[in-house]
Amino acid sequence: MSTHRSGIAGATRHVLANGMVALIQRNPTTPTVSVRGELRIGAVHEPASQSGLAVFTGAALIRGAGERSYQQIVAETEARGCSVNAGGGLHSSGFGAKALTEDLPLVIEILADMLARPTFPAHEVEKLRAQFLLGLRESEQETGTQASRAARELLYPPEHPYSRLSSGSVATVQDLGRDDLLRFHEGYHPAGGAVAVVGDVEPAAVIELLEQYLGGWARPGEPPALDLAPVPPLETIRRRDIPMAGKVQSDLIWAVHGLRRSDPDFYAAMLANMILGRLGLGGRLGENVREKQGMAYYCYSGLEADVGTGPWSAVAGVNPANVERAIAAVLHEVAQFVAEGPTEQELADARSYLTGSMVLGLETNDGIAGTLLAIERYGLGLDFVERYPAIIEGVSREQIVETARRYLTTDRYVLAVAGPPASGGEGTGA
Amino acid sequence: MSAPVEAHTLPNGMLVLTREAHSAPVATSWVWYRVGSRNEPSGQTGISHWVEHMLFKGTPSVPRGEFDRLIARNGGTFNGFTWIDYTAYYETLPADRIEIGLRIEADRMVNALFDPPEVESERTVIISELEGYANYPETWLDEAVKAIAFTAHPYHHPVIGYKSDLLAMTREELYSYYQTFYTPNNAVLVLVGDFDTDVMLRTVEGYFADLPAGPALPRTRAVEPEPQGERRVIIRRPGPAEYVQIGYLAPDCRSKDFAPMAVLDAVLSGARSLNFMGGGAQTNRSARLYRALVETGLAASAYSSYLPTRDPFLFELSATVSADHTAAEVEGALLREVDKIQQEGVAADELARVLKQVRAQVAYSGESVTGQAMQLGMWEVLDSYRRTESLLDELAAVTADDVRRVARQYLTERRRVVGHFVPTDEESPA
Repeated sequence: MSTHRSGIAGATRHVLANGMVALIQRNPTTPTVSVRGELRIGAVHEPASQSGLAVFTGAALIRGAGERSYQQIVAETEARGCSVNAGGGLHSSGFGAKALTEDLPLVIEILADMLARPTFPAHEVEKLRAQFLLGLRESEQETGTQASRAARELLYPPEHPYSRLSSGSVATVQDLGRDDLLRFHEGYHPAGGAVAVVGDVEPAAVIELLEQYLGGWARPGEPPALDLAPVPPLETIRRRDIPMAGKVQSDLIWAVHGLRRSDPDFYAAMLANMILGRLGLGGRLGENVREKQGMAYYCYSGLEADVGTGPWSAVAGVNPANVERAIAAVLHEVAQFVAEGPTEQELADARSYLTGSMVLGLETNDGIAGTLLAIERYGLGLDFVERYPAIIEGVSREQIVETARRYLTTDRYVLAVAGPPASGGEGTGA
Repeated sequence: MSAPVEAHTLPNGMLVLTREAHSAPVATSWVWYRVGSRNEPSGQTGISHWVEHMLFKGTPSVPRGEFDRLIARNGGTFNGFTWIDYTAYYETLPADRIEIGLRIEADRMVNALFDPPEVESERTVIISELEGYANYPETWLDEAVKAIAFTAHPYHHPVIGYKSDLLAMTREELYSYYQTFYTPNNAVLVLVGDFDTDVMLRTVEGYFADLPAGPALPRTRAVEPEPQGERRVIIRRPGPAEYVQIGYLAPDCRSKDFAPMAVLDAVLSGARSLNFMGGGAQTNRSARLYRALVETGLAASAYSSYLPTRDPFLFELSATVSADHTAAEVEGALLREVDKIQQEGVAADELARVLKQVRAQVAYSGESVTGQAMQLGMWEVLDSYRRTESLLDELAAVTADDVRRVARQYLTERRRVVGHFVPTDEESPA
C-alpha cells in the first residue's frame, strides 16, 4: 500500500502578471494533463433581451483565434489526441483542455489565443447560431427544459438573470450578431479569473508557459461588476402547467429560493439537501416517490448556491396520471423533513458520505482541476480539503433543522409541470 | 505504465481479474454477467434490465434501502447497467473500504429476494424509465432502425423492453431468469485500485469461493441472416427537427475485420472515449462527417458509431438535419462519405491521427480505476480481457487497403437500413 495525501494542499498558487490566478498540481501517475479555467463573466452579466449571449460568446471562442481558423484549431489539436473547448455559463465563462503531457504548450497557446484574441469570423458566427437555434428548438421540446424554464420564471422577477436559462431562447439568440459577441468579449478580464493545470508537469515550467502565453493579456479597468436584482420572497404558491404534444411523461419541479455559497447556512443546507433528496437513490424523496410508490425512475433534489440565491428544487419524471400524487409526495416529504429534521442515522450517513467520497473526486486530473477551481472561486484556501471533514462534522442537527425551516417552505413555493396535455397519457397505476 | 492484470479462476468457475493501481487511495469492484437483451426470448423483452433493478431491492441480510446507504456511508459511489450483451454492477470506494463492494456483490449474486411487492413497485419505475426515453424523438427512430435491422436476432428489441412485456412480466419469470444467469460461472469479478493483490484474493475467496456453480447456460443461437436488400422506415411524430439514422449489419468484436471497422469509424468521426462514462477528448470536429455535414451547414451534428459486440450488430451513421435542409439531403451526404472511402480509400495521415487519438483516449480513461475496470470487464465478457492489451497493436496493423476493403464489403446498400424522423405538424408550444 502507498501513502497518499490529498495533494491539493501542496498545489502551487501563482498570480500571473495580468492578475489571473494559476493553480498547478503535479500528478505524476498518468502521461496526461488537464487544464480548466474560468473568467468571472457569464449570463448574469447579459441583458434579458440578449439572453444566451454569454453562452454563444463562449462557444464562439474556438471558431477562430489568433492566426488560426476553427478548422486549424481542431485539426491541430485532434491530430494529437488533445481537445480544447470553451463555453459560457451562468456566472462564469469556462475554458479547458485535455492533452498528453507533451502537448501542453500547444493547448495553452491555443487557449490563450481563444481568450485574448478570438476573431469571431462572420461565417463561423452564422454557422454556430444555426446550430444553437436547432439545439434550442430541440431543448424547448424537452419536458425537463420547459419545466425548468417555467420554475425560474416563477421564482425570480424578470429583471433577475436567474429568471432565465443561460442558454437563451430561440427568440433572443436569433437576433444575436457578431457585434454583440465582440462587445460581450470586451468584458472578459483576467483579474478574478483562474486556471488550473493538473498532470505530470513541473509547476515552475507551467508557470513559465502560462506567463508566456497568458500573462501578457491585459485589460483596462476591472472585471464587470455583478449587481443582482433583489429577489422578492415568495408570498404564495405559484404553479404553471405546460402542455406538450407528442410527450409520454411529465417533468415536475417544485422549488423555493435557496441561498448563496457564502451564506453561513450553506453547509447545513447542503447536508439537508443531501438527506432530503440525494443520498442513495434520491434521499427521502427517492425513497418515497421511486422506491415506495414506484412512480418515477428519477426523483431527487438540487441546491444551486453560487453568487446569488439560486433555486432549491425537487424534480421528478412521472406518468401524467401520477402528477398530483407525486407532487403530494414531494410536499409531504419536505414538510416532514422540516417538522422532524434528519434522524441521527441519516445525519451520520450524510456526513460520512461527504467526507469519505472526497478522495473519489480527486482521482483524475479533471477532478483535481475542478476542485482547485472551486476552491479559488469561493476563496476556500488550499487547505480546504483538509479542513472539510471538520467543517462537515461541525454542522449540528439543530442547524440543519433551523436551515430547513427557514428555506423549505411548504406554503410558499413554485411548481412547474411540463408534459402531455391533461387528457393524454395512460396511467401506469402502481 | 499500468500494472499487469492478474487472472484467477475460483473452483466454482468465477473469473477474477485484478490490477493494482496506487495513484490514488481508491478502488473499484465490478461484477459482470454474461447476460443482456440478446438472451431474452420474445415476450420477455426487458427482463435482463428488470432483474438488474431487482438486485438493488434487497437480500435477507441487506434490506432494500440499506444497500445504497451502506455504500454512501462509506464514501462510495455505485451503479448498475444493462446492455445488449452484458449486465454490470460496480462500487467505487475509498480503497480501505472496498471489501464492502465484495460483500454486496457476493450476497446479491445468490440471495436477491425478488419480494413480490418490490417487483410490483419496480414495474412502474421501469415503465417510467421507458416513458422518459419516449419523450425524445431519437428514441423512436433508434428503436425503429434496430427493429428493421434485425429479423432473427434479439438485437431487434430495445434493452428497456416493450411496455406490453413489462406489463405482463411475472415475479416467477424474473426470479427464474436470475437463477439461470446469475451464477459464479457466468460472472467476472474485476478489481482495480490501491490494494495488495494477494490480500485481496484471499478476501475475494472468502466471499465468493463457496457460492455454488450453476448449470451450463442456455445459448443464444439466433444468427441474423445476410440481408438481401435495403430496408427503410419513416417515423412521423411531433418533434423539433428531422433526424437520419443509417445502420449496416457489421462484424462482431471477435471478427478479424473488427479493427479495420473501428478505424473506419474513427476516420469518419474521431476515436471516441473508451469509457461509457465519457471524460475523453473530443476528436470529431476534424473528422470526415463533421467536415462534410456540419461545416457545410447540412446538419447540426453528424456521427458514426461502431461498438464491440458479441454478435454482429450495426455500424451506424446518424445526423440531426439543419432547419433549412431535408433528411433526404443529409442521407445523401452521409452515403457520399461512405462512397468516397469505398472509391478512394483513406490517407496515411488519417490512420496516424486515429492511432494517436486512441493512444490518448486510453491514457485519459486510465486515469480512473473505474474506467480501467470497465474496459477489462467489458472485453472479458465479449471476448477476453487481453484485448485491452492487444487492441492498440490490432489498430496499428490496419492498412488503408483494409479500411477500404471493409467499407466495400460491409457498408453496402443491401446490408443497410435507413431511418428518417420527420416531425408532424401537431402543435407543440415553444
